[in-house]
Amino acid sequence: MSAPPPVPPADAPRPSSAPRPGVAPHLRVAMSSKRMTWLAAASLVPALGLGVALYGVPALMVTGASLLCALAAELATTLPWRRFTLADGSAALTGLIIGLVLPAGAPLYVPAAASAFGILVIKQSFGGLGRNWMNPAMGGVVFATLSWPGAASWSIAPLGWPAGAALTPLQALRAALSMPGSHQATPLAVLEKAGYSFSGLDSGVVGWINTHLLSPAGLALRQGTLDVFIGHVPGAIGASAPLLALGAAYLLHRRVIRWQLPVIYLGSFVVLSLVFGGLASGQGWSAGGPGFHLLSGNLVLAAFYAAPDPVTSPLTGTGKWILGVVLGALTFLLRYFGSLGDGAAAAIVLGNCLTPLLDLWTFRRPEAASRGAA
Amino acid sequence: MSWEATLLTFALIDNVILSRLLGVDPYGMPGSLRSAAAAGGLFTILMAASAVAGSVLETQVLAPFGLEALRTPAFVLLVAAFAAALHGLAARRAPAMLEEAGVSLGRTATSTAVLGVVLIASRGGLDAGRALLAGLGAGAGFFLVTSMMTAIRLRLEVEPVPRALRGFPLQLVTAALMAYAFLAFDRGFLARFLGR
Amino acid sequence: MSTGLLLLSLCPAIAMTDTVIHSLWMSAGVILVSLLSTIARDVLDRSSASTATSPKGAVRLLRALLISSVLTAAFEAGLLAVSPTASASMGIYSPLIAVNVLVIADRQPAARSLARSASGALGRGLAVSASLLVVAIFREALGAGTITLFPAGAFRGTIIVGPLVDQPVRALGLAGGALLCLGYLAGALQAIATRRASAASEGEKPR
Repeated sequence: MSAPPPVPPADAPRPSSAPRPGVAPHLRVAMSSKRMTWLAAASLVPALGLGVALYGVPALMVTGASLLCALAAELATTLPWRRFTLADGSAALTGLIIGLVLPAGAPLYVPAAASAFGILVIKQSFGGLGRNWMNPAMGGVVFATLSWPGAASWSIAPLGWPAGAALTPLQALRAALSMPGSHQATPLAVLEKAGYSFSGLDSGVVGWINTHLLSPAGLALRQGTLDVFIGHVPGAIGASAPLLALGAAYLLHRRVIRWQLPVIYLGSFVVLSLVFGGLASGQGWSAGGPGFHLLSGNLVLAAFYAAPDPVTSPLTGTGKWILGVVLGALTFLLRYFGSLGDGAAAAIVLGNCLTPLLDLWTFRRPEAASRGAA
Repeated sequence: MSWEATLLTFALIDNVILSRLLGVDPYGMPGSLRSAAAAGGLFTILMAASAVAGSVLETQVLAPFGLEALRTPAFVLLVAAFAAALHGLAARRAPAMLEEAGVSLGRTATSTAVLGVVLIASRGGLDAGRALLAGLGAGAGFFLVTSMMTAIRLRLEVEPVPRALRGFPLQLVTAALMAYAFLAFDRGFLARFLGR
Repeated sequence: MSTGLLLLSLCPAIAMTDTVIHSLWMSAGVILVSLLSTIARDVLDRSSASTATSPKGAVRLLRALLISSVLTAAFEAGLLAVSPTASASMGIYSPLIAVNVLVIADRQPAARSLARSASGALGRGLAVSASLLVVAIFREALGAGTITLFPAGAFRGTIIVGPLVDQPVRALGLAGGALLCLGYLAGALQAIATRRASAASEGEKPR
């Protein structure tokens, strides 16, 4: 679907002293091509697969609800005008990401409302594909989390865990750190001390590794390392960092996304977490735990699928660097000091607010924009 | 509240535009980043000065003499007076900045944002020093949000948005989305960030 | 009154649409202050016009501000006497009525008869009130699952909107929700105004 660049409508007033942001819409529409969007959706399937395997039917229901609602919302705002835009894959990708970011225990109105809000308000109200300034998936999730704070973070225990509702590692860490006398070296240690349970698989494998491989060398893996690493913990449906990273690696290889923004985002988060993270939990400087945070929550998904979205990411190279640092800082602040457990979606949305400003600041000439975007 | 808490609260947590819903003006939208910056600077000075004067008026005149009922006329006229003074000063010393800002005296004197900050500061019982910080913080937050919304507006101007929503309606929806985003900065965040 | 002016005056008042009862109190204030200040300014304009010295722009503004702020103070005092809880919940937004009504006020009240400018002010106040009410009903019904009105007799004052009250769309009750509802209301008003304008320009190609 390569539509010709849209002509600005005749009644659009031209501010006299503004630079020419008019280059932006054409670039953004062209960059978010059908092929790239469907590739991105395909690369999420492994993570979705693990989520469905871990949570079963509830995961299918949540993801299905968000997908259906996204597609329905897009149809409702295009069919009456005799356009059919589902083929560009953007509504499907939005619905898929929302489904992956939400936990399997969420009542179905949560993903439905998140998708509807994302497509109707954040995307279609601004003119559809390529015109929105806020990421529809992340914005929809933020809307749902604000509307139903309990329901939208209602995780259920995955396969192999004691059944019932369960806290995610981030939630449990937050709860444990607020109790006095719980300042330990690593998040896993804090969780262990707080009595957080891990799966039988984890205790089996970690026990085996410790007994046979590491204790001769005097080392030991903590209980829970395997669980957290592969994402076998209560939380979002698509929270498996290694699988998401695999999908992202594929996208990078196919040049669907560029490496700058995700790498700088994660890099600045790691640096801040290492240097200042310990301060938040009372352990002093250089004692934070970036590894745990990288593997938990929606950070990897946000960094590789939400941040580099060509529609909402900065056009210039300088802008990408600045936004990457800002996103990392915001995620660090919200993860360690914020009221929500996982600040990744909120950080993305805040970054979206800033991106048009960054574009105007760093925008020099149209040639520079095309060089920076390449 | 500590001084940094006051600053951050007025700038981010209870942002004048996104949380208090003041200062949203379909006729006063800056046409460029430069005019947004000029207007932001103007409003910051006005907010800071009026907030200080308002808190002094509240603590020295209105409260001791039991004249709280006169608070509204007093503050409204106070803001108008400061606005007129600032416009006069700017016209003489920095006419380019005033021109760039593109706000008329009418808009400044009747600005809900400035009057709102003065009212919040006085109702919060802030002393002159805190009121100054409140005004500066509010102005900074106002400037940040106005700049971001100007950039978004410039980007939207050349895009084929639905006709009914073109212009101010979409500005409001933009502000709504930004307001939801800013809710990540809440009192809990402030409490934890400023050292428990 | 143009859509733009209506929206400009609505913007701070929209903060009072979190419940229906708050929007009603706000509307009462807007209508009262708007009506009375128009009458006052009309009378003053006529008396100054008769002496053939009409005040300059800045003085006119000052006089208008003085009149509206004094009337707002009177409304606030009255509200405090009638319902202290309502007065407390209005917070900083009741003093803001003073500058709000100037936006929708008639520029040249003495140009028409007193009755016409008064009814014009009343009409504009009612337009503001209707808009606030629409937004408030939407916001409270969806955002809190209730509709709060005056208690009267056996009616405790709150209408519950079905199962929504257990898990309402809380985001609508937040500040962002007010901006969101106002934005779409503005879009609807703008669409109506455009349609009316294109119908009025008979035969011209509608935009």
